[in-house]
Amino acid sequence: MMTQQVSTPDELVSALTDGELRGEAFVKSVQWLEESEEARASWHAYHLVGDVLRSGEMAATGAHDAAFVARLRSRLQGEVQFVHTEHAIDLEVSGARHERVGGINRHDVANDASFRWKLVAGFASVAAVAVVGWQLVAGVNAPSGAPQLAQVELRPAEMQAQVMIRDPQLDQLLAAHQQSGGISALQMPAGFLRNATYDRPAR
Amino acid sequence: MNFTFFCRHLLASALVVAAPFGLAQAPAMPARPAAGVPTQSPTSQRGISEWLLRMHEASRNRAYMGTLVVSSGGSMASSRIWHVCDGEQQIERVESLSGLPRSTFRRNDQVITFSPQTRVAVVEKRESLGLFPNLLKSPDSAIDQFYTARQTGSARVAGFEADVVHIEPRDKLRFAYRVWSEKKSGLVVKLQTLDGQGQMLEEVAFSELQLDAPVSMDKLSRMMTNTEGYKVESSSELHKTTAAAEGWQLKSPVPGFKSMSCLRRPAAGGMAGPDSTLQWIFSDGLASVSLFIEVYERRRHGPEGLTAMGATHTLARRWSDNTGEWWLTVVGEVPLQTLQAFAQGLERKK
Repeated sequence: MMTQQVSTPDELVSALTDGELRGEAFVKSVQWLEESEEARASWHAYHLVGDVLRSGEMAATGAHDAAFVARLRSRLQGEVQFVHTEHAIDLEVSGARHERVGGINRHDVANDASFRWKLVAGFASVAAVAVVGWQLVAGVNAPSGAPQLAQVELRPAEMQAQVMIRDPQLDQLLAAHQQSGGISALQMPAGFLRNATYDRPAR
Repeated sequence: MNFTFFCRHLLASALVVAAPFGLAQAPAMPARPAAGVPTQSPTSQRGISEWLLRMHEASRNRAYMGTLVVSSGGSMASSRIWHVCDGEQQIERVESLSGLPRSTFRRNDQVITFSPQTRVAVVEKRESLGLFPNLLKSPDSAIDQFYTARQTGSARVAGFEADVVHIEPRDKLRFAYRVWSEKKSGLVVKLQTLDGQGQMLEEVAFSELQLDAPVSMDKLSRMMTNTEGYKVESSSELHKTTAAAEGWQLKSPVPGFKSMSCLRRPAAGGMAGPDSTLQWIFSDGLASVSLFIEVYERRRHGPEGLTAMGATHTLARRWSDNTGEWWLTVVGEVPLQTLQAFAQGLERKK
């Protein structure tokens, strides 16, 4: 990638962004940036992608992003609760990618010519979505911080226990055991308090 | 056995016998400074019955409030506790802080549980709560025979200095316990249930405790009887019976576990009769086991299996003999092998 013959202007801008150009090529591409608005747009886009990848704060700008964020949030809420957050993001990324890449292909005429740039654009959008998604989920989690995350991790164990005793018959028997069967010297106060705290809603 | 050894042995035995008597007459410990000077505490020689009685009396005669945390497996639940006793009546209020909102009130052995979300209040009479300390005082009490207690140190829990008492079973049919008993009052501030390998199965602990708190008995009493807006249900009619009358017996009783009571419960449909469940309750003084017997029904029962929730283990299986087929569910705070011993020892009389 480094020493290939760059042919399209966008490739030039990209190389310039990466600081790969020297001498005449450098001068030429800077000139082209001054002249062409298209080039400046590409320049801006590449820098935006870079910034977004480096720090998520720049990502949440514009109504387009806000709409995406709202869609992401509603989909996250729809997910089954004890799916680990990483998996939730994967689902979101794969779901959103089709929309984003499709959008770029429709609107970004300049890059149509080169398949390589389509790939890069697609990858950049996926990366941006991943970062936005990650930031959003981190934002969702932020208010409660560590306890929320701990809850996600605990849930499998908790859910597992609850799945086992979701059998309502067993649930009833367990409640009956706690009610009539807790004959123990340790019942007071620990046993009774334990049962009252840990009571399963058998009703 | 030579003479020296005999004397030594005799003296040692005499010491062991005499020590509890000496302690029983000693006055209550004066308050010690919390600086934790590790003196040889005479409390290390209390017998298990003494420890248990002390713990029981502590909760009976005090007012306190605090936050209780129950942890088992990876999960945790907590609640806010208020407790007050005026010598005759004991009232407790438990507000769940995790899971479904729930308020449980207890006055002696009457319990009422409010569920704000469903607006249902369930009233029950928990007879098991009144049985101790008779458990200890009965001459054939199993606790001494099957458990030992020794103090293993001191620790600080919820801001209070506590004696750490290790209650160990003498066989493998029951669990061990570690109890943190507040030094001055004896109140249990933390309790752990441990399995045969010393692994913790469950822990109940105060994370925050205020002893001799100004808890108002009148206020709690009023809250308890205020069922406005709630549909009051009383727990299903329980019919007391005996296992023998129902035609069941244990051909090989499980050591230490005595039959405590036998109840007939209506089945899910709320009807007595062939659909009902028989609950046969055993206890060794610290752990209890319920044997549930139902007529086997393919559509209702199965699959067979074991579950464990903290210290509570469950074994469910089909049981059959030439008189019929039954569904057995054994539940208890005991190891699996004990549940199996119950299942295997069951026998139909008639």
